[in-house]
Amino acid sequence: MFTTRKMGKASAALLAALSLGTGAAFAQQAVVVIEAEPTSMDPHNTTDSVSATVQGPMFEGLLRFDDSMSIVPVLATGYSYSDDATAITFELQQGVTFHDGAYFNAEVVKMNLDFVRDADNGLARRSFFRFIEDVIVEDDYTVTITSESPNSAMASYMAHTSAAMKSPRVIERKMADPDFNADREGAVGTGPFQFVEWRDGVQTVVEAFDGYWNADNGANVERIVFRPVQEASTRINMLQAGEAHLVFPIPTLFGAQLESDDRVNLRTGPTTDVHYIGMNLQLDKYQDVKVRQALNFAIDKDGLIAQMLDGYGTIADSAIAPNVYGYAAQEIYDYDMGEARALLAEAGYAEGFTATLWTRNSTEFIAVAEYVAIQLGELGIEVTVEAYESGTLFDMLDAGEGTDLFIGRWSPGTGEADYGLRPNFASDRVPPNFNNSGFYVNEAVDDLLNRALASSDAQEALSLYAEVQEVIYDEAPWVFLHIPESIVGSAPNLDGVYVLPSGNVHVSGISLN
Amino acid sequence: MLNYILRRLFGMVPVLLVITIIAFLFVHLTPGDPIRIMYGAEIDQATYQEMRERAGFNDPLVVQYGRYMANMLKGDFGISYRTRVNVSDEILRRFGYTFVLTVLAMFWAIVIGVGVGILSATRRNSLADRSSMIATITALSIPEFWFGLMIMQLFAVQLGWFPTSGSGSWQHLILPSITLGLGVAATIVRFTRSSVLEVLREDYVRTARAKGQKESVVIWRHVLRNALIPVVTMSGLQFGFLIGGAVVVEQVFAWPGLGSYLIDSILGRDYPVIQALILLFSLQFLVINLLVDISYAFLNPQIRYE
Repeated sequence: MFTTRKMGKASAALLAALSLGTGAAFAQQAVVVIEAEPTSMDPHNTTDSVSATVQGPMFEGLLRFDDSMSIVPVLATGYSYSDDATAITFELQQGVTFHDGAYFNAEVVKMNLDFVRDADNGLARRSFFRFIEDVIVEDDYTVTITSESPNSAMASYMAHTSAAMKSPRVIERKMADPDFNADREGAVGTGPFQFVEWRDGVQTVVEAFDGYWNADNGANVERIVFRPVQEASTRINMLQAGEAHLVFPIPTLFGAQLESDDRVNLRTGPTTDVHYIGMNLQLDKYQDVKVRQALNFAIDKDGLIAQMLDGYGTIADSAIAPNVYGYAAQEIYDYDMGEARALLAEAGYAEGFTATLWTRNSTEFIAVAEYVAIQLGELGIEVTVEAYESGTLFDMLDAGEGTDLFIGRWSPGTGEADYGLRPNFASDRVPPNFNNSGFYVNEAVDDLLNRALASSDAQEALSLYAEVQEVIYDEAPWVFLHIPESIVGSAPNLDGVYVLPSGNVHVSGISLN
Repeated sequence: MLNYILRRLFGMVPVLLVITIIAFLFVHLTPGDPIRIMYGAEIDQATYQEMRERAGFNDPLVVQYGRYMANMLKGDFGISYRTRVNVSDEILRRFGYTFVLTVLAMFWAIVIGVGVGILSATRRNSLADRSSMIATITALSIPEFWFGLMIMQLFAVQLGWFPTSGSGSWQHLILPSITLGLGVAATIVRFTRSSVLEVLREDYVRTARAKGQKESVVIWRHVLRNALIPVVTMSGLQFGFLIGGAVVVEQVFAWPGLGSYLIDSILGRDYPVIQALILLFSLQFLVINLLVDISYAFLNPQIRYE
């Protein structure tokens, strides 16, 4: 079954497993421990934050988000919207070369965006770029992106990690040979680090790129080694033993214990993940807003955060998180069983009702679901928790049949309000479209979202987003729960790293003192 | 003998064929699919459907199975859905890691297990025997997961003698192999002890002693040869289990072997990898069972195969 050539490889692997470690004492090597294996080295074919973190040092886009989720230029020097917000024009950085020597210019931008948008190429990020109507090369270093409808979120989309620029040579090679494995061999970008190797289960290594264009932002270490370690206790042991410089994520359970450990620096920061309980508004029992508000009043969010998240979280005071562009704080539904009972009685459900709560089958989700079920039980709402594997659950929600209560988590990858609200609350996103699984339909919300997106005036857009968040929070199509914090552990001598609220860790600037 | 081996090898073919069908049905009928798990909520329904179509998941299962078998007969186990690596290359690479870890774990287990077992049996009811029995019960009751983290905390974090986890040097092997060998060692101790005690009651042992042979000769030449047969069977089976990848130990120590690969693949519904691994593990069991049977003939010439 196996050829002799392959047996040769097997014995080489045997030797490799036995051989003495070399290079372990590399002085300027930063070891970053991640929770899982990356799935691809192609930013256009990746949706998970582990892969995005590993790709980060190798790839750059026109823009990026800084540590406060503000948009800053990278391969673009600046951008401007057309008056009707249907076009965005980028001025590009000159003198940028890819790791393989190819030059970066407006043609390369067009080539990248056209390639990822082409359905025949089957890339996971195609739908992300669906807003693009055309990419127009104005001159060598000016490029314009147009959209069919006004879209003031285009800059945010282009700041996302998946809007990274790949080398034109990689794209050409893929076009010439569809069997070329770009996911594993196509890691050629313009970033301060270039790809060295990716061995499954062992490590992914990147090293400083000599020809990097931006002297201000160059590599501070020789190499970065990413090691996948799934067991959280092992990740923490590595940090305590001095084998790792940066470790994430750290479960909240270990947070308090590590805060007093001087071998470890802990950094915590809010994520943009809003956790919620969705309700199927097609069902009679949830049609009265008073019922939905009663459910919101009946959950002790502080207790939930203290017990389920060891205190590492905040109450969701809007449908989007504070770090999302366009966020506006709302008045929280403070835990108040009296109020909850009164509202439920007013709606004619004084005796309560029965409900089924769908959850993903991971421990953290089930724990929250059980907590919610117990609290709603006190209100007379008898909740049965049903746990499903996440893919199955998505399919059930998209099918839109039999939905009652469901636990969800949403984070807008673009870091702005439209992607945070539209998929969950726009009336054209009800099943089988995604992700308005609770069938929330409100023309006022649709109108506000459309007007905000069409506005090229930032202040006007912000006030429209504030208004729509108020409507949604009042109408309570969700039980708004919490926003967890992410915890990252690092060696005391590490610097230059920041955690994006989206969960990606920006490690390009990593330095060891 | 050769005839017997060939017949056994030939008999494996239909077994393996049935296993490919079971493995195929097992992975395809489990809820969840690799595309959803990999891309989550970040792709819309249309993209998801296109990807399913491209991956061939919308074809009838029979067609998918036929395609899988056709490729497999060409030696092509496919590309991993999860990390896009060539599955047979990756399995071979990881087999090296698992093999080294297993052999070392079995080495600890057999050296300690048989040694302590003989000691226990020959000094029955002594203090040494009693403490070894308590130690084996303890070793069998400790979860590998907990024991691994404890010795990691002690020898890697506190004392700094070995690396916590990972691979790349012989030092990386020590803690995981001891963790893995612990339970097997305890089992072998108990097996060896009872087996030796049984043989010690045999007539030929009394005869040997009556002849005035030295006790060490009696133990080595007469007792062990016979007592070790069940121990060999058991060790072979244990080896069969371990070579399938030590899931917990590999996970705790981030050892890049087949056990951690299997878990990752199952969680990611990485069909080609799961199917190939199930087939490999089955083959390993069949081969090890055969080797165990053959080894009987060497240990006890009375056993003959035709």
